[in-house]
Amino acid sequence: MQILERVRGSRPGGAVAVRRGRRLLDRRYLPTAGTVAALVLLLVVGQLRYGTDDRSFISMRLFSNLFIDNSYLLVLAIGMTFVIISGGIDLSVGGVVALVGLVVAKLLISGLPLPVVLVVGVLVGTAIGSLIGVMVQYFRIQPFIASLAGLFLARGLANMIGTTAIGIKDPGFEKLAAWKIKFGERPDIWYVNLSMVTAAVVLLVAVYLLHYTRFGRTVYGLGAGDGGQAAGLMGLRPGATKMWVYVVSGTCAGIGGILFAFYTKSGYNLSGVGMELDAIASVVIGGALLTGGVGYVLGTLAGVTLYGLILVVCNREGLEPWWNRILIGGILLGFVLLQRVLVARRR
Amino acid sequence: MTGTVTSGRDRLTRVTRHHLFWPVVALVALWVACGVVSPGFLDVKVVDGHLFGQLVDITRNSVTFLLLALGMCLVIATGGIDLSVGAVMAIALSVALTYIDESGDGERTSVALTAIGLALAVAAVVGAFNGFLVAGLGIQPFIATMIILVAGRGIALAFTSGQITTTHSAPFKSIGSGYVLGIPTPVVIGAAVFTVVALVVRRTALGMLLESIGINRTASHMAGVRSRNITWLVYVIAGVLAGLAGLVYGAPTMAADANNIGQLMELNAIMAVVIGGTKLDGGKFSLAGTIVGALILTTLDRAVIIFHLPSESKDLFKAVVVIAICIAGSERLREMTGLRRVPRLPGSPADAKVEVAA
Repeated sequence: MQILERVRGSRPGGAVAVRRGRRLLDRRYLPTAGTVAALVLLLVVGQLRYGTDDRSFISMRLFSNLFIDNSYLLVLAIGMTFVIISGGIDLSVGGVVALVGLVVAKLLISGLPLPVVLVVGVLVGTAIGSLIGVMVQYFRIQPFIASLAGLFLARGLANMIGTTAIGIKDPGFEKLAAWKIKFGERPDIWYVNLSMVTAAVVLLVAVYLLHYTRFGRTVYGLGAGDGGQAAGLMGLRPGATKMWVYVVSGTCAGIGGILFAFYTKSGYNLSGVGMELDAIASVVIGGALLTGGVGYVLGTLAGVTLYGLILVVCNREGLEPWWNRILIGGILLGFVLLQRVLVARRR
Repeated sequence: MTGTVTSGRDRLTRVTRHHLFWPVVALVALWVACGVVSPGFLDVKVVDGHLFGQLVDITRNSVTFLLLALGMCLVIATGGIDLSVGAVMAIALSVALTYIDESGDGERTSVALTAIGLALAVAAVVGAFNGFLVAGLGIQPFIATMIILVAGRGIALAFTSGQITTTHSAPFKSIGSGYVLGIPTPVVIGAAVFTVVALVVRRTALGMLLESIGINRTASHMAGVRSRNITWLVYVIAGVLAGLAGLVYGAPTMAADANNIGQLMELNAIMAVVIGGTKLDGGKFSLAGTIVGALILTTLDRAVIIFHLPSESKDLFKAVVVIAICIAGSERLREMTGLRRVPRLPGSPADAKVEVAA
């Protein structure tokens, strides 16, 4: 649908086309603009409430801490963005994070060299993603059920590997996890660590893939809701792409799993329970529509930032932990309503 | 049935094509396998006037899945999905046990009944909220019900003030671990709910209306079906049944652990419905299949113990069975094995046209 409208909007000449183009632009950016507005609001409130004369709430420190805590989620959410824009869903990512963490921990204990272990870890995610992709594309099983089976498969395998948390003591791994560049002067020191760098690289690759390649256009075409027919008629290959989005998401989950292992320095079969929902929530908050066809990688970045910021604010307010969930649910509701209003106005 | 001469092959094809064929085969195969490994598995004994045996246990444990899956089945029939049921279980149980705890007089039947009524009312309110988002505001069911999935456990924890509320109440406990005429109470509850739902859905036009909404909401609305009200109603039913499932599930232990009760239950319920042969796209649904699905999931849990597999392998086992059933039921496999003959591949006219154009 979007592709067709984009074609229509780009027809040369005429005030109608221009107006249509502007409206199209508005529609495409409004949900993400809402996210950015909420981000700004939260930052301003935070600054007013927690900023003191000698220490500002809004600082590089804040963002640095935020992404140290959430870079794995960002990577997961980026993979999820591809799947959601294609009109599918991937429920397996939380399970994959747990599985990858355990695989990495076990392989390091068995003495395999670190680079091999990291590659294998990512490939575990790719494998689960491919399996889901084959089920969705080749056997035409609904994405929800196929990725649900993937979730149980990943968690089941993780359970088989071990049911206790395995600490990662490998010196090379610890070095990588602790690697960071220091910026700024006291008291406003902030860091960039390896997870943030990795997430940034994944982000750039994803922006390129989704917004500047044939593959990316096909992903949007798949989300038009006609099973990829329009995309197919335009000479794109919807079938293979449908499978590849799950491979992308699985690979991102693999990378996310390794970042999570960096973060926790352990592998545990129960880690990442419900993480797929955090990822989906971030993507939706970032302005993607679950029906597919609409969304941005950078919107997802804003979504994850907002998500992390809510947790920071809850923490600062000293709220009971259950308020986190209620608040995130409330924010999700707010964004869903906003999107609904936008969609209603469009029709 | 249609003709006087029916060849055996035709009949076989018809049986294997039935939507309940693969689920029932899977269930029977599981039971037989369990029976072979553990000879006493299929025995049902009467001890002290109560039914005992592995199969009775499985049936009793399957009631939680069944209650959730029945509501889910109706929701899925309208083309929706309800991700909130696990959280609703936690909310309902937290409300009931907190009420009993604060009343300080849990042994009175009236207190237990009020607690049950209160819990179901709260569950209905949550269901109505979901229904409002889906039917009233037209938000996608997945994301609308995800709001409660994310926030619901927080709400349940707010009811119990973050504690695991434990309390005593014999009448309340009996809905989870009691017996009625020798049959476990949960089984009676499950059977009663199933009968009511089946009668209401299949003996009135409601079932047909649900299917018509699931197949084409706009068309059925234009044909005069009150799709909005019916969709709303379905989410309320799913909420109430989820609340009931929470009570039945939590009653034997009398502990409201809001963080863990009902965890992943929404996925199990959806799985039960899908295993039972109902497609997630909406439209045709199978209540009988849902029972089979719930029984398969519970049997899997038990089979892991019987086969002396580590209990950790439960999820893996489930994944394999679900993948197997989905692939066995998929049209692609039927095309390959020739059980179903298709003149041309459906769903890929676009590809074909592109090739022609090229």
